[in-house]
Amino acid sequence: MRFLDLVSLIFYNLSRRKGRVLLTAVGVVIGTSAVVVLVSLAVGLRENATQQLWGINDLTSIEVYPGYNMKSSGGGMMMGGGGGEIEDIKYLTPNAIKEFQAIPGVTRVIIEDYFQGSLDVVYGKLHGYSSLMGISVDDLADMGLEASAGTTELVKGTAVVGSWINRNFYDPKARPDDPPLEPPDLMGQTLKFVVSKWSQDGIEIKKTYSIKIVGVLKESRGQSDGSIYMRLDEISAWNEWVRGTRINRNKEGYSNVIVKAESPEQVIDITDQINTLGYMAYTPQSTVQGINSFFTILQVIFGGVGAIALIVAAIGIANTMAMAILERTREIGLMKAIGATNKDVMSIFLGEAAGIGFIGGLGGVIFGWGASAILNIVAVSYYTSQASANGGSPLSSVASTPFWLPAFALVFATVIGLISGLYPALRAATLVPVTALKYE
Amino acid sequence: MKNQPFVRVSELHKDFKMGETTVKALNGVSIGIERGSFTVIMGPSGSGKSTLLYLIGGLDWPTSGAIHVDDEEIETMDENTLAIFRRNKVGFIFQSFNLIASMAAEENVSFPLRFSGINPAERKQRSQKQLELVGLSDRMTHKPTELSGGQQQRVAVARALINDPPLILADEPTGNLDSFSGLAIMQLLSDLHKAGKTIIVVTHDPRMRQFATNTVFLLDGSIVSEVDYKNATELLTQPFEKG
Repeated sequence: MRFLDLVSLIFYNLSRRKGRVLLTAVGVVIGTSAVVVLVSLAVGLRENATQQLWGINDLTSIEVYPGYNMKSSGGGMMMGGGGGEIEDIKYLTPNAIKEFQAIPGVTRVIIEDYFQGSLDVVYGKLHGYSSLMGISVDDLADMGLEASAGTTELVKGTAVVGSWINRNFYDPKARPDDPPLEPPDLMGQTLKFVVSKWSQDGIEIKKTYSIKIVGVLKESRGQSDGSIYMRLDEISAWNEWVRGTRINRNKEGYSNVIVKAESPEQVIDITDQINTLGYMAYTPQSTVQGINSFFTILQVIFGGVGAIALIVAAIGIANTMAMAILERTREIGLMKAIGATNKDVMSIFLGEAAGIGFIGGLGGVIFGWGASAILNIVAVSYYTSQASANGGSPLSSVASTPFWLPAFALVFATVIGLISGLYPALRAATLVPVTALKYE
Repeated sequence: MKNQPFVRVSELHKDFKMGETTVKALNGVSIGIERGSFTVIMGPSGSGKSTLLYLIGGLDWPTSGAIHVDDEEIETMDENTLAIFRRNKVGFIFQSFNLIASMAAEENVSFPLRFSGINPAERKQRSQKQLELVGLSDRMTHKPTELSGGQQQRVAVARALINDPPLILADEPTGNLDSFSGLAIMQLLSDLHKAGKTIIVVTHDPRMRQFATNTVFLLDGSIVSEVDYKNATELLTQPFEKG
């Protein structure tokens, strides 16, 4: 039997009992649309969660700290745990940085150095506090940071501040009944950075620098919000002043570095490689990975719920096909009498079952797609109104249908139909012709 | 193998299990049917005549014995080979026509060609030709419900002929028809016989014998002579007497 003849015969047979086929297909429509909507929802939630994380963390960054390797007799734990004797410290020396740069996929290594003395930021009568960081880039944009005002470029004698820094200012002479202080606009202002250290005699030695604020960073909901950034060479010089000696970077290295990867996909691999070298590397991607695996589980569970609906529909298909075979037993006998092989009969009935699955699957994909779109419109408008009222970022979508999902759902529904038609079709194919012809 | 009958049946037995009991539908039937002959098989209900016809047509398997059709031993064939044998060698005509109600006459006639892999255009052309041969050229697009019993049976005859098989097997072809339509079908079968087909008809209708080249009488699963058959059927039709 030619394939096209088989397909036309299958759809002809299905069209002979439209009502029953459509009713059976409704079950498949429900199951398939449940799969499409629920999996789209899980995918959409995952995308949203990942997007939110992208906002907080730059997913191409790996933070690296010196590696403290304990003797195995000391408890076998890295970084603390007590009782362990440090056997070997892997400092972040210029050589180490070269090692990182040699790892495939690493675009650059940025050195961060915290100011180690105490800092008092003075703006008129206001005093402020912050962590001060020297960084080995000329432009903070290289770190993925953006300015809300001014520039991200670092020039000697200037600083770029995080978005929350102005909230850290206070008036030491304020009275309790004074109105709350309005955070000052620091952009373009010249602040006094009063750095201090203690001499061996217990005397506080202070030094004041005038630093111009040339940029305010956009809120990142991360570390940068509470930091003041300056050039690395300046902060290193200040640290040397605090210590009173030159710092030999070849010996004690830097406090930490940021390794930037070419793409987020390479980050986990590079992190592993740096850890293997004996340093402590951390990436926010491990958090993302955890979240991803959570959403994968959610996707499977959601998909499973839809699949259960499809399996119920499959029982409906099996029932419809079993009924059809009973009703058409004489027809099966006739087909065999006029030369249909068992394979022909089997193909016709399997095809009819798969056809019901396909029709239902097609309806389910269209319905599920539509339902996802409606869900998006309703949920996004709700969240947008909530976000504008309460703050927070609005969602772009709730359900996201990946391109493979409709095709997968359609194939899945067809295969479910095919499987549910297996037993009835086998029964039809193996009927003895004469028994089928005499069936009343 | 020359001069062997077209259909050879040797020591054919067919048992049916009816719960605990075994019914012997055929009890050692041996028969030879020549190519181009018109054979009528007669017998009362339950004599095994339809069973014999279906076994010759390869629609069932015998309990024992051998069946040769056109020198092919069919009782040893697997189901697939048997289906192809039926497709190429046999045309069936049934008492209840067995037409597919939703298909037009033309589609019913061409239905067997779908299983032979013939393309739609050729199917249509061949089925139209067959319907013209059985005198239904004006009924091609009619559904079975729009046709009389005699017309439906002619559609069934056209369907039996569509693959041009050498053997036509008819099971009570006039059983559901009025006497006039029945006679027309007999005439049609006779024409097929004259055209060279081998015809085997199972019937109760004695009029069929006038078209036949030979008649086989079956009683309780065995072939009997015409005399024995008549005696037995007379006995069967006599009223029971007391005592």
